[in-house]
Amino acid sequence: MILLSGNVRRKVRNLLPGFLIPLLILAVWYFLHDKTLLPAPGLVFDVLSHPSRDLLSCGSLFWNTGVSLIRVLLGLFIAILLGTPLGFMMGASERFRRFTSVITELARPLSPIALLPLSIIIFKDTSFTEILGLNHLKYTRNILNELQVGMVFILAWGGVFPVILETMHGVRGVRKVYIEAARVLGAGRLFIFRHILLPAALPDIFAGYRMAVGRCWMVIIAAEMLPGTNSGIGYLLRYSYQLSRLDVMLACIFVIALIGLIFSRGLEFAGDKWLLLRARER
Amino acid sequence: MYLSLSHLEKSYKDPSGNNLKVLGPINLSVETGEFLCLLGPTGCGKTTLLRILSRLEQADGGKINMGSGRLGYVFQQGALFPWMSVESNVIFPLKASGTAGGECRSRAEEMLNQVGLYEFRKNFPHELSGGMQQRTALARGLVTEPELLLLDEPFASLDTRTGISLQEMLRNLCGRLSTTVIFVTHNIEEAVFLADRIVVMGHRPGKIVRDEILDMKWPRNRLSSSFTEILLSFRRTFEKLVDPLTSSLTEGKESEL
Repeated sequence: MILLSGNVRRKVRNLLPGFLIPLLILAVWYFLHDKTLLPAPGLVFDVLSHPSRDLLSCGSLFWNTGVSLIRVLLGLFIAILLGTPLGFMMGASERFRRFTSVITELARPLSPIALLPLSIIIFKDTSFTEILGLNHLKYTRNILNELQVGMVFILAWGGVFPVILETMHGVRGVRKVYIEAARVLGAGRLFIFRHILLPAALPDIFAGYRMAVGRCWMVIIAAEMLPGTNSGIGYLLRYSYQLSRLDVMLACIFVIALIGLIFSRGLEFAGDKWLLLRARER
Repeated sequence: MYLSLSHLEKSYKDPSGNNLKVLGPINLSVETGEFLCLLGPTGCGKTTLLRILSRLEQADGGKINMGSGRLGYVFQQGALFPWMSVESNVIFPLKASGTAGGECRSRAEEMLNQVGLYEFRKNFPHELSGGMQQRTALARGLVTEPELLLLDEPFASLDTRTGISLQEMLRNLCGRLSTTVIFVTHNIEEAVFLADRIVVMGHRPGKIVRDEILDMKWPRNRLSSSFTEILLSFRRTFEKLVDPLTSSLTEGKESEL
């Protein structure tokens, strides 16, 4: 018997009931798959357990997942880089907010997917290889070739609004008494920004990042299913549909769900552990 | 003389756009090292006066003459920064004024020792009791050894016993640093216990209705006859203040007195 500390054992015991329904689904699938179009669970498991094997001649599961992840991270990076200072200014300055509120309110509900055709027209299939001037790499299998500017643009679009709005919300929500206390205790504007506004708004800013990650992950899957690329997990998913390879399709769906879960849980954990702990009692 | 106010006035706009005079005209001068209690019922403009002195708000008229030295401020509910430890909260005003890191630490340590919170320096405000939070706030207000310390009902939310022990602590600390203190309260006993001088403010617009230097030695005994006598005399002043909101209720009572 494996000896586990009481804490770990309790956690495992709490998790167990949650696995009942997935197991039930798995069982139904296993016993009934030959009456449907679905492949046997074993076939899907086979795809998942060989992640570096080439699939449908468009790269391995690893490669395609990696391509999608790097696209998302790049888009997210840009969204954060632009959105955080913008949101901060909108939160801190009434005048700046008045100037920008209409445009953000109009642009926010516009689905990034709706911009994909336009971004393909504008950016064509320009990839980061060309932008960085590495043309000799253009016909090799290289991650830079897969990072199309248009794709990154719509990801940044999808991610930037949650970042802007949550940051603005966070900055506006900083209790006035903290700012006043800092002022009467002799703090200047920059000091207040660094030591009061930033830490007090941090939980909201971080919540914005979390929302942005989730949105970008949804956007990339949909975007990859549309023309404009021939790599990524979304592309693999659509291609498996064209070839009626349901084993690959189900494996893709599983990976997409898993990564979505890792994103949201991982960030939640990181935030609680390193960022929000102190600010929680506001 | 550290501070003098002449004809200080302040009005706010009420929701329908009318000017609502909340303060003034106020004429007041405070001596260096004086411990002054600003006593008045809720809503008489005491806090507004304090905010004007700390430049959080602007007066509409009148003149303020005051030293330009360091200022300490203790808010009603502490207003401690919840994401900072007790120590970081106390260091904050030092750091804000550009004191070097090592000196910040040693001065904060000394201050925390004086308010008896050294062992709790790594704790966060929400982990402390109300009394300890206010002690942290006192330490934060006094750590720069300010020339003028403003306190806005700092002990109002504490139970009586904790309040009394903090009053004693405050008085000792301020005595040691010879700080000029303006302490706002609506608690008459607190004012009589703490103050060298009590200034009573009346209602809308806030005006000074009584200004008296207490002739009482320190330390003070709350049970002594002189203490109770002074307490009663201020209670009488207080009862004569007519609150426009409740004047119709108290009219009958007043004729009995």
